[in-house]
Amino acid sequence: MKKNLSFQGRYPSLWLDLPILIFRAMRITVFLVLVCVVNLYATGYSQNVQLNLSLDNVKLSKVFEVIQAQTQYQFIYNDENVNKAPLVSLSVREATVPKVLELCFKNSSLTYRIVKDVVVVLPKENAPPRLNYTVPFLSPQFIVRGKVTNKDGDPLIGVSITAIRMRTGTTTDDHGNYTLALPSADDTLLFSIIGYKKQEVPIRGDSLINLAMQVSISSLNQLVVTGYEKELKKDLTGAVSIVDVNAIKNIPAGNPLKAMQGRVPGVYIQTDGFPMGGATVRIRGVGTLGNNDPLYVIDGIPTEDPLGIFNPSDIESIQVLKDASSATIYGSRAGNGVIIITTKHAKTGTHINVSSSLSLQRYNGRSTVLNTIQRGKVYWQAAINSGIDPNSTNIYQFDWADNNGKPVLNKVILPDFIDVDKTMKPANTDWWKEMTQTSVIQKTNVTLSNGGEKGSALLSLNYYNNKGIVKSTFQNKFNIRLNSDYSFFNKRLTVGENFAADYIKGSTVNPGDILFAAEVEEPIVPVHTVDGGWGGPASGMTDRQNPMRLIADNRQNKVNTVSIFGNVYANLEIIPHLTLRTSLGVDGGLLYQRLLQKSYVSGFLNDPSNQVNTTENNNINISWQNTLTYKLNVARNDFTFLLGQAELYSAYGNFWASRRGYALETIDYGYLDAGTTNKDNGGSGGGYSLLSYFGKVNYSLDSKYLASVTVRRDGSSRFGQGNRFGVFPAFSLGWRLSQENFIKKSLPVISDLKLRFGWGQTGNQSIADNATYTIYSAIYGTDPTWGYEQGSAYDITGAGSGQLPSGYTRLQQGNESLKWETTTESNWGIDFGFFQNKLSGSLDYFIKKTTDILIRPPKPAVEGQGASEWVNGASMENKGWEFLLSYEADISPDISFQATGNIATYRNKVVYLPDDVLSAYPGNGLDKTILGHPINSYFGYVTDGLFTSQNEIDNAATQVGEGLGRIRYEDLSNDGKIDIDDQDYIGVADPKFTYGLNLSLTYKNLDFSCFFQGVQGNDVYNGNKVYTDFASIWPGVNWGLRTLDAWSADNPKSTIPALTLIDNNNESRSSTYFVEKGSYFKLRNVEIGYDLSKALKVKRIQSARVYFQGNNIFRVKSKSFSGPDPETPNNGYPIPTVYTLGLNLSIY
Amino acid sequence: MKILIISSLIMACCLSSCVKLDRTPQGIIFSDQLNSPENIDKMVTAAYSALGNDNGFDSYTGLWALGDIRAGDAYKGGDGVGDQDYLNDFEVFQERPDNRTVGNVWVALYTAIGRVDDALARLDAVTEDKFPLKLERQAEMRFLRGHFYFLLKIYYNHIPWFDETVPVESRDSISNKSLSDDALWGKIADDFKFAADNLPGDQTDVGRPTKWAAKAYLAKTLLYEAYKQNDQYQVTSIDQSLLAQVVSLCDEVIQSTKYALSQDFAYNFLTEDENGPESIFAIQFSKDDGTPQGRLDWGHYLDYPMNPEYGCCAFHAPSQNLVNAFRTDKNGLPMFDEFNKVDVGLNDFKTYTFDPRLDHTVAIPGHPYKYEPYFVFQKSWDRSPQIYGYFLSMKETVAADDPSFQKTPPFMSSSKNQDILRYDDILLWKAEALIELGRQDEALPIINKIRTRTANSTGLLKQEDGSYTSNYKIGTYQPGVNCVWTQDFARKALRWERRLEFAMEGFRFFDLVRWGITPDYVNTYIAEESSKRQYLVGVHFQAGKFEYMPIPISQIDYSKGALIQNAGY
Repeated sequence: MKKNLSFQGRYPSLWLDLPILIFRAMRITVFLVLVCVVNLYATGYSQNVQLNLSLDNVKLSKVFEVIQAQTQYQFIYNDENVNKAPLVSLSVREATVPKVLELCFKNSSLTYRIVKDVVVVLPKENAPPRLNYTVPFLSPQFIVRGKVTNKDGDPLIGVSITAIRMRTGTTTDDHGNYTLALPSADDTLLFSIIGYKKQEVPIRGDSLINLAMQVSISSLNQLVVTGYEKELKKDLTGAVSIVDVNAIKNIPAGNPLKAMQGRVPGVYIQTDGFPMGGATVRIRGVGTLGNNDPLYVIDGIPTEDPLGIFNPSDIESIQVLKDASSATIYGSRAGNGVIIITTKHAKTGTHINVSSSLSLQRYNGRSTVLNTIQRGKVYWQAAINSGIDPNSTNIYQFDWADNNGKPVLNKVILPDFIDVDKTMKPANTDWWKEMTQTSVIQKTNVTLSNGGEKGSALLSLNYYNNKGIVKSTFQNKFNIRLNSDYSFFNKRLTVGENFAADYIKGSTVNPGDILFAAEVEEPIVPVHTVDGGWGGPASGMTDRQNPMRLIADNRQNKVNTVSIFGNVYANLEIIPHLTLRTSLGVDGGLLYQRLLQKSYVSGFLNDPSNQVNTTENNNINISWQNTLTYKLNVARNDFTFLLGQAELYSAYGNFWASRRGYALETIDYGYLDAGTTNKDNGGSGGGYSLLSYFGKVNYSLDSKYLASVTVRRDGSSRFGQGNRFGVFPAFSLGWRLSQENFIKKSLPVISDLKLRFGWGQTGNQSIADNATYTIYSAIYGTDPTWGYEQGSAYDITGAGSGQLPSGYTRLQQGNESLKWETTTESNWGIDFGFFQNKLSGSLDYFIKKTTDILIRPPKPAVEGQGASEWVNGASMENKGWEFLLSYEADISPDISFQATGNIATYRNKVVYLPDDVLSAYPGNGLDKTILGHPINSYFGYVTDGLFTSQNEIDNAATQVGEGLGRIRYEDLSNDGKIDIDDQDYIGVADPKFTYGLNLSLTYKNLDFSCFFQGVQGNDVYNGNKVYTDFASIWPGVNWGLRTLDAWSADNPKSTIPALTLIDNNNESRSSTYFVEKGSYFKLRNVEIGYDLSKALKVKRIQSARVYFQGNNIFRVKSKSFSGPDPETPNNGYPIPTVYTLGLNLSIY
Repeated sequence: MKILIISSLIMACCLSSCVKLDRTPQGIIFSDQLNSPENIDKMVTAAYSALGNDNGFDSYTGLWALGDIRAGDAYKGGDGVGDQDYLNDFEVFQERPDNRTVGNVWVALYTAIGRVDDALARLDAVTEDKFPLKLERQAEMRFLRGHFYFLLKIYYNHIPWFDETVPVESRDSISNKSLSDDALWGKIADDFKFAADNLPGDQTDVGRPTKWAAKAYLAKTLLYEAYKQNDQYQVTSIDQSLLAQVVSLCDEVIQSTKYALSQDFAYNFLTEDENGPESIFAIQFSKDDGTPQGRLDWGHYLDYPMNPEYGCCAFHAPSQNLVNAFRTDKNGLPMFDEFNKVDVGLNDFKTYTFDPRLDHTVAIPGHPYKYEPYFVFQKSWDRSPQIYGYFLSMKETVAADDPSFQKTPPFMSSSKNQDILRYDDILLWKAEALIELGRQDEALPIINKIRTRTANSTGLLKQEDGSYTSNYKIGTYQPGVNCVWTQDFARKALRWERRLEFAMEGFRFFDLVRWGITPDYVNTYIAEESSKRQYLVGVHFQAGKFEYMPIPISQIDYSKGALIQNAGY
């Protein structure tokens, strides 16, 4: 029996009068009970409708269809019974429905009842008079019904719906509708269909239960957005990854990309804990020498903006197009892969979703530095080792003695004051502790949506506040989104919009400065002077700022950005299956910041002047895209044709202005007008345009043999007249072996098996807007604090001040022949599923070659200033594979379990570079060049431990600065001396592989998940060891605790070089001493949740899930890494441990 | 069907597109728009600008790192040897072809030459009708080009030379070995000759070179050229005719009477006296000029002490050897042979006698800083005394209350000009040429003139109580009385005079190389100084190598074989 009970069509109203009908099904046998019939012939419009029918020998069900099509009547019947009924012939004019039905059932074994507009068809023997009244049937009865869709709102057909308590059920029809009559509202419906997660919904007296079902990870019927169209996952032929948005939605990262880390094989994401920070996303490795960021397509609108502005709660789905065959449709800018994001739309009915969370975050591991006395001891030892009088320093004094040639330190003596002005008493400041805080993240999102037949709207409001763990760093974010659509002409025309506006306020402080200062500022420096001013470096110390002053003096400075992102679109179904879509998108932003730089005195560092600098940037991208799609089905052949055109106009402008001489140093006073001296300002602008045409054909034979061909022609204003357009073709093939009979029959264990191959090309135009032109610019003056002045002004009259004459300088040489950089990629893939897709996964192998890479190599100095030009001048190759495996099982009706693991790797190598630019990359430019090596290679000396005896020194190659306890470098060139020729490639920053593992378990209303992530085999250049391991390279800073364990005759096992104040051995040179293993394994995320809704039994609460989540709570790193966290080496902003308590409430 | 037609029309409309792929470049100007006389003059200004577009980390006109710390006059200074270790490489003679400063100085100087040639090419093309100043401006540009090539020559020795007529794109194929030493000096001299022939004797704009400046620089060029070097940079002969030209050129400048020694040596190092009678050509620095930080003397911005009035970074520290060299004997003459036998300690400045130029040059704890009796240099103003001792350099700095002083946190500098050509330098070139010509008797009054001026330059060297800061004693050379004025002795006296007169001004190393005495001189210095400065232990100056910097490795790569590395690297 195909269906138990069907309810065909829709109900016109929410409630039926009581009591009407009860259906009860028990396993295979179905019997239908009509309890009683009241008001059988209720008055209403439908009953008066008159029909003209002429039918000859048709099935009874056909009659029902005809009536349903012409009236509002709906039919409930049992297929089996109706199919057994005799064929019907009738011819009536202006007959009412009851009249027609009477004729139909005249000679039938069936009868019917009409309740309002519903016709229930019953066997005659089950008619009411013969019914046994039983207790359950005496309780109030009603009909529950609704619509089941996927999360995109598309109807799901054949969803099984079971009332758990009454053990009765039904399935959804072609429109996703169902209806179920029950004796009691005190029941729970279980919705299930293959490919989607089972879901239980308590009825609680509601007669309308609409449901959007969540796809289970292995679903083949999942709709995947692949570029101007949606495809079923089972029909995909490219390398497309689907992000499990559900798993990341509660992570309080603020930026959805940060939460995606490790979840998608082949997508390598690096980030840190800075609230204003973004994430570096690399799809399948570094593919080019310029911009390696992927293209983002949000609701169809391409953008290069990272998603820091985005509200994670608005995201419905994220897909990653990894290979060229799937990305080519986006042509330009898609060479680094595409991340497609679709935002939420209203589903049928009214919904309110509220999610709110509160997190506490704290640093997890810190740099370990010396305290005041320890630093004194280390200094003393270093001075002794260097033959320098320890008491010749300006700060510390030492009580020490020479005991028969062995110096002994009795006491470290601190001065009364560390400065001449006697304002700073010696302290024992723990700068790290001072500058960090346990801080709070608040997140609240409210989404209101209403979906109906002719239109829907969703409004989402979001607030996010992340106070960083480094004091004064923060991000405050407000997002508003309105997504709506309206349909006209019987849904042939849909007009809609997706629109988001964001306001972000954040700190402008550079956390790197603070973190570095906290590490190197000496502990003897007090935070404050005795009179409450700022402590700071005293003579003999490094010239780094007091980190607490940096924090306090920058607290008032904020950067404000407002951005808008969205589109309006129209879909017109011209004829069935032929759809025209046009979409006009806008992506724009404004940045405003006003920085007050205060005057200060902090030790020997001071600046008597103040300044306000105001900056405003604006950018706008307007895109217009038009596509025509035609779906054609000829016998077993399915075709989809897509023809499209897209264009983009991009422009930006900015200006800044500054003044000095402010009477008050408050941000409220600090406007430009209030400044009195040094008026200065600047500004610039630019832009580019893109124009593209594209076409695509998808073909499927029996859903078994799949093929797709794409061609895109892209034009960019950035290239010269003759080279503006590039053509980027692609094709892909798929073979669903599992659809073949030989597999179906002989290997039923295989539920899905697909082989894929794709080949394609994509383009890259990420160069300067003016790249083709030789340009000069009027540069009056630049800030030469950290590099040469580049200006052209000169005091030719010797006036000494005032406006100067100035000229022009060349910025760049033009290259008219610039053309598109092209990435060519081949992808081999296999998708599989076993045991009805309980175990499923995919394996992809790719070869990606990028040629004509756009670079602006340095030029010989003899060509003068601005000699460099953009050229198509390099090639690079990436090869790699990605593996994804999922397992999901319902262990019992109450327990379900899911595990998803992924592992990916790639190898990068530079294939070609012009000879004359090789020395701009790691290598010696001669016999050891980056060619054949990964672009992220380190180059330097190879260390061979320390010299531990005179014998070793004598037998080693000659090395300037050799000595006991000093680093021994290897004589790679075998010429008996250590020199520049003894360098080689000493490490690669790319991981050997990356992996992630997600586990989740659901038990009744309780759910648990955890996510592990790691990278393996990457080398980190830990330059920070200059400070943590050496007293000699930066004598004026604080050093690491590791210096306490430095090599000495008494500590011969140590690998840390002997203490010295003088680095004769040039130990800061790039060498393997600083290359450490960056592998790590982290427990990124643990979440435990409980759905209170069943316990609460509050009407209209669909779900009320409380959860507790922990992020980054556990870490394993390589022993060889000497810092706290290899993910944020070299004083990166620490990734905090975050604990979150949250609530997701869904009301309808 | 109707709707199909409509949508086809819509589609066709779409395909026609609204976006234009022709986007006009924003905010820039094209080369051919710069050929008007007005703009050509601006391109000339841009070339002048290159004189002072310096930076203290890789100074190309500040000279101190390349000229003093390689010559035994100064330590690098700062926060230990690791602080800007690429500069330390020069002090311990470890500079390599990939050294940062080696590369950046090359780029900065060819950038400057590029600006000059850009202006010159436009000047060549314009007619005198349209631009009456054409010839004069050409002469100014060639003066600047001579200056920049001169610096390249003394830094790197073998360099590619070209003028504005060589197309930009073919400049990278010019070898640094295509011109011999003499030919290269000849090219540099040609620019100065052209400048001397076409520049006016007076300039309204003090920043432009005069005819006399060009003659002075020509004299300097010929003096360098006169010392003929072999491949090991040993001086094999001294060209007498060139020396004679040096003498006559110096005489022309002297006889022009445009220039004179300042009354007090101090005036050469004070802002209020800049562009004074002694300054022949100087880089004009400025502040409050509309640039972000001022066009300051950026090449020296690391050289201020650590006291709160300044704050950073205590680079460029006079060596003990240099301080010892200021000691004078009972006649007020240098202690040529004995000077380094005893180290002058902080309490010895009243014990021994000193050349007054000491307190113009060296900041010493307990001594007034920059001639300000109330502004006394303290030990705490030093940064790493345990490594670099207690002395700092002072000529290039200004007092904290000087109007030209400018903080550019974390560094600081001033708009005080930097002299490129100074009258005392001209006098001593003449003296040097005369001595090498065997006319040392004519050199004697010149040297004594310098010494007399020095003797008269103690007025500003007083402490709060009005007493002299150190015990000054300087005498003139009086043959037969306190010396025997032979050529050898005169040469010794001249070289000593140059050392003290220009101490810490960055000329010393290039003098040593010109004279061909660097290896012995520097190795002797290291042998003695390394007993006081631990980091000098084991340092060795390799003759025939470190006289010149290596050609930057990156430039060799770009040149595809046109550039040949200097010997030894």
